[in-house]
Amino acid sequence: MAHSLLLVDDEPRIRRVLRLALEDEGYDVAEAANGLDALAALRREPPDVVLLDLMLPDRDGFTVCREIRRTSDVPVIMVTARADSHDVVAGLEAGADDYVTKPLVAKELSARIRALLRRVEPASTPQSDTFLVGDLEIHVAAAEVLRDGEVLPLTRTEFKLLVELAGAEGKVCSREHLLSKVWGYGYFGDSRIVDVHVRRLRLKIERDPAGPKHLVTARGLGYRLVS
Amino acid sequence: MLAYGLLALGLSTVLALVTFNVVANYLTNQRESSAVVETADNAAALHYGLFSSASQCLPNRDRKSNECSGIAPRPNVDVLDLLYSLPSTDSAASMLYYDGQWFSATGRPEDLPADMATAVRAGSEQYRRMKVGGQQVLAVGVPMARPDEAFFEWHPLSNLDNTLRTLKITLVVAAILTALLGLAVGKLASTVALRPLAKLTQVAAAVARGRLDARLQAEDDPDLGGLARSFNQTAATLEQRVIADARFAGDISHELRTPLMTMLNSMQLIQNHCGELPPAVREPVELLGDDLERFRRLVLDLLEISRDDGGDQGSREIVRIADLTRAAADAAAGREVTTVAQDAEGLTLQADKRRLERVIANLVENAEYHAGGCKGVLVQAGGLGVIIYVDDAGPGVPVADRERIFERFGRSEDNRRGIGLGLAIVARHVEWHHGTIRVKDRPEGGARFIVELPAKTS
Repeated sequence: MAHSLLLVDDEPRIRRVLRLALEDEGYDVAEAANGLDALAALRREPPDVVLLDLMLPDRDGFTVCREIRRTSDVPVIMVTARADSHDVVAGLEAGADDYVTKPLVAKELSARIRALLRRVEPASTPQSDTFLVGDLEIHVAAAEVLRDGEVLPLTRTEFKLLVELAGAEGKVCSREHLLSKVWGYGYFGDSRIVDVHVRRLRLKIERDPAGPKHLVTARGLGYRLVS
Repeated sequence: MLAYGLLALGLSTVLALVTFNVVANYLTNQRESSAVVETADNAAALHYGLFSSASQCLPNRDRKSNECSGIAPRPNVDVLDLLYSLPSTDSAASMLYYDGQWFSATGRPEDLPADMATAVRAGSEQYRRMKVGGQQVLAVGVPMARPDEAFFEWHPLSNLDNTLRTLKITLVVAAILTALLGLAVGKLASTVALRPLAKLTQVAAAVARGRLDARLQAEDDPDLGGLARSFNQTAATLEQRVIADARFAGDISHELRTPLMTMLNSMQLIQNHCGELPPAVREPVELLGDDLERFRRLVLDLLEISRDDGGDQGSREIVRIADLTRAAADAAAGREVTTVAQDAEGLTLQADKRRLERVIANLVENAEYHAGGCKGVLVQAGGLGVIIYVDDAGPGVPVADRERIFERFGRSEDNRRGIGLGLAIVARHVEWHHGTIRVKDRPEGGARFIVELPAKTS
């Protein structure tokens, strides 16, 4: 079954060419020219992945992204002009799962989409379907994290990140390792993606996100998950 | 500064010489005249002892005719007793030629120069410097009352010589001190006087190196204010021009992004269906695809460099340089080209990974596509911390071009090979990491790019 994409960009030519190229890569592509249309389309027919340009005429991409996140855990790839502007961090903070820079080519984009849509891979110990970390219960097959019997609202990427860390059983995971396992990047993936996702994850799983007990930083090395 | 010192040395030397001569002459004259007076006094005393006449005979030349002749000596006078009874003075010896023979208390008349003795006995007063028994003395002779009788004394000059030696030492020391002082004053004066100029040189050099925000802090200086103001104005204009140029390049590249995206994706679609194209258009499509790819690189490079001009801060994280180089170089070459020395494995630095990746990738791509292929990338400890060598098999870079190739769109001297922006971006990013880059000949032929970065063992 073809995966469906929602393409949000105000530039008609970009939408046209990307739709053509992405359809050629085998995706179903829906288009939206502005933030309002995008949210409407999202409600009408939830896509598998949203491709969101940050420069939109009615409201900026960050706001749209936050609004999407209020109701949906759909993977969001944002499109930015510059890789090292503050836009990247702001977009990730707003809830985007990954980013691509212009000029983007459908083939590269397709690789990013596939990485995001990849199911959570079986952790390093395949038999354990459930991890217990402190007061957290992580059910891999059900894609759920519970605290005190309550389901925590993680996005799919946050969940993948958490499972990857849990699978390491307390050992340090480097940013490079996490980027390749969760996002499918090689060595030069942007480690800010990991850092922002860790920050977002802490907000959800830590009782005191400023003083994390479970998801701790190993300075200069990476992150690890401890009970 | 040295001139000040030499001038001071020259002046003080002249001053010392003049002082020494004047003082030495004066002292010598003083000594001589006092010696002559003393000897004349003694001669008068002797005259009294010998002739009981208080009047002293003038020297022959002043004497009126026979004024002193015909005086009868006192009877039964012991001449030697008289000599011994002379007031003890500093004279070392006294001798009397009297009554046709020598009487001498101390000293030997033979030591007297014959011509001097003769001249004095003939009635003229004489003095002369000479050496007796290894000692400098002033020999003084005065004629006595009767012709052909004379009195001689030695006056030792050791005191005078000691004084003059002391004076000489003092003056030499003073001259040296003055020269040193002159040197110090010269240094101080030149530093103080030239400090603003040194500052100007410094700031101008900084601007020349590309630090366009460098300004001269001397606009209030009365001497330098005008120069400082116009210099700062020039620098500010230059800075604005450069920023405007960069913004222009950035804006253009930015505007190019949308059409570029359309073209790239359309081309990709066409290439995906290359088999369905009529054979006649396949080659043009291939050509178009290649040039589109070059165009894409150029736009990306322009964006990269205009981003830097825009004062982009970048991000810093701790990076293992060996891993990064391996990943970037091997990916850029499409094969394993990296060798890491044992001592470089653990080295880390605070780096912007994306920028550093561009450094390595651009160097390797430059070697691959423009210089006969990459002959290896070596990472080893040393220099600022880590040294990365990128070798190629090309013609090498002539010495004259070794700076130019790191400039934007720099070209080699013979204008053959356009370099584009790749190496300019490398140089920028290396500098951003507080590193250095240079190019040398590779011993086996070709060029060797050498990047040094401040890495340390973690």
